[in-house]
Amino acid sequence: MHIDARTLPDGSLLEGDVCIVGAGAAGISLALEWAASSRTVLLLEGGGFQYEPAMQDLYRGAIVGLPYYPLQAARLHQFGGTTGHWAGFCSTLDPIDFEKREWVSHSGWPLRQGELDPFYARAQSLLELGPDEYAAADWQRRDPTMVPLPVDPRVMWTKMWQFSPPTRFGTRYRNAIVDAPNIHLYTHANVCELEANDAVRAIDSLRIRTLDGKEHRARARVYVLACCSIQNARLLLASNRRARGGLGNVYDNVGRFFMEHIEMPCGHLALAPSHSRYMRMYALELGTTKARGEMALSAAVQRERRILNGTVSLEPGSLDETAKSTFEWGTPTMLDSLRAWGERGNPGAPPATSPGPAQAPRFFHLLTRLEQAPNPRSRVMLGDEGDALGMPRAMLDWRLTDLERRSFRAIYEVVGRELGRIGAGRVQVLDWVRGEGAWPRNLSGGWHHMGTTRMHVSPREGVVDPNCRVHDLANLYVAGASVYPTAGAANPTLTLVAMVLRLSDHLKSKLS
Amino acid sequence: MNRRRFLQLSAFGVTAGAVSLGSGPAQVTPQELLDLLGPETVRGLGRRYREMVPAADLLSATTSRGSISRRIRDDFARGRTVVVGGWVLSLTEARQCALFSLLPA
Repeated sequence: MHIDARTLPDGSLLEGDVCIVGAGAAGISLALEWAASSRTVLLLEGGGFQYEPAMQDLYRGAIVGLPYYPLQAARLHQFGGTTGHWAGFCSTLDPIDFEKREWVSHSGWPLRQGELDPFYARAQSLLELGPDEYAAADWQRRDPTMVPLPVDPRVMWTKMWQFSPPTRFGTRYRNAIVDAPNIHLYTHANVCELEANDAVRAIDSLRIRTLDGKEHRARARVYVLACCSIQNARLLLASNRRARGGLGNVYDNVGRFFMEHIEMPCGHLALAPSHSRYMRMYALELGTTKARGEMALSAAVQRERRILNGTVSLEPGSLDETAKSTFEWGTPTMLDSLRAWGERGNPGAPPATSPGPAQAPRFFHLLTRLEQAPNPRSRVMLGDEGDALGMPRAMLDWRLTDLERRSFRAIYEVVGRELGRIGAGRVQVLDWVRGEGAWPRNLSGGWHHMGTTRMHVSPREGVVDPNCRVHDLANLYVAGASVYPTAGAANPTLTLVAMVLRLSDHLKSKLS
Repeated sequence: MNRRRFLQLSAFGVTAGAVSLGSGPAQVTPQELLDLLGPETVRGLGRRYREMVPAADLLSATTSRGSISRRIRDDFARGRTVVVGGWVLSLTEARQCALFSLLPA
């Protein structure tokens, strides 16, 4: 069932069993799990079914600290959320990503990767991926031309990615949501405040506003925030009527530990012709490729070098040019064209992509996606300016540490040596990777916002508990990458959906 | 070859006499790098490496025995590498580049 909140009489009360705030990959995945159940699910989406500049403007915010991408362009505020312009990269986190690493402050998840495995398997189909297989050998068995580089597994390995079509949740699952009688989807329903009870131990209701000036309330037994990392934190911080620092924020953790994947061009590979046959494994043509590998350092080398996790991908290019960083390539205009391509049903190749080279390339750009170390000083706060609904805008203070710089250097030292050792070619490392000064001007993330409501068993160290429930609030949960204690090297969407399915199972057992 | 170049090569043991005494052409020809990057780039790397290290350190490129390619692999395996012009090179091939840069183009 779908209702546009602007058509409701002012002051309406929406009631259900579960109330999900945000209809992106997390919110829709969660709602679908409850379709055809006996529970009434309220799914509140701030935007509509289409892109609306006025809605996007609600996401505008201030940038302090390191330069960052315009916040209103980095996320889509509409049904389907940011899947409306994502590229579809999916991979699992590695076992080491869940571990407490003494050289990475605040690392460690309160769960092991194995606990997520059954949920990863279920997430595959929601994201329209292939088989639940992420070992290079599995893909080589399916396609014998996909051969991983013969590197020493004690040093490096080939980490596999799969590519979603990409699934546009807003179109792919619209009918399933709208046709489900027990799912009540309200669009243009922006939640502006979580209203806690007097003791601040549970949420009583949500205050909803529309841009045309109406105000409604939603009431449910359980509430789930699924608005993306920046907005989840913003909403908790702005809900400060009964708790001065906002809800779930007794220990000042909400908004802190904002993490990105640092996605940067780092060097070149001059490939030995004898190793051309391995490049098929690492090739990517968006819109066509189902799976590909990226080079990664072994857990043993990460431990020995005391560095962060990251991968190295290969992109055909020449030595006299430097590849663009993700933010350089993906300008807001480019993301707009990706969104428009998605609205047309992803026809053909995505915009601004070119077919693979006709001849076997000799030179490659080397690009890295590195996890950001959890850093309490890297944070989302409330700014002084308010948005059109009267809610304080977000202010992002993105900060990185020396560990990220050192990790980039170490990765390329190891990759350069190992590719030289096997005779695959020679690696050239860009100046900024070898330097120790300021970050380069093309510093880029991957639009992967994580960590602002991190998971930890202790409320002193995290915002949510291992079941994604906000510490000290009996009926408030958080879904999405904001609960990640660490980022790993994989794009967050697959893990995000897996975590949502895990949360759904937990809520079902709790409400049964 | 002018007199200055001849003296440079002599200092590094790369005269015809040195080559015939056990340092064959392979010793001063970084063949893999030449195949990958071409002679101009390799000469440039050689010049940069000569600026980085004392001349005496270059001699081992022509005096060590054994297969050059095996030594290069061994360098990479043991971390005996150097970054020249951003390129991660084995020490052996960096020295080869230096010597190669002294040869007539």
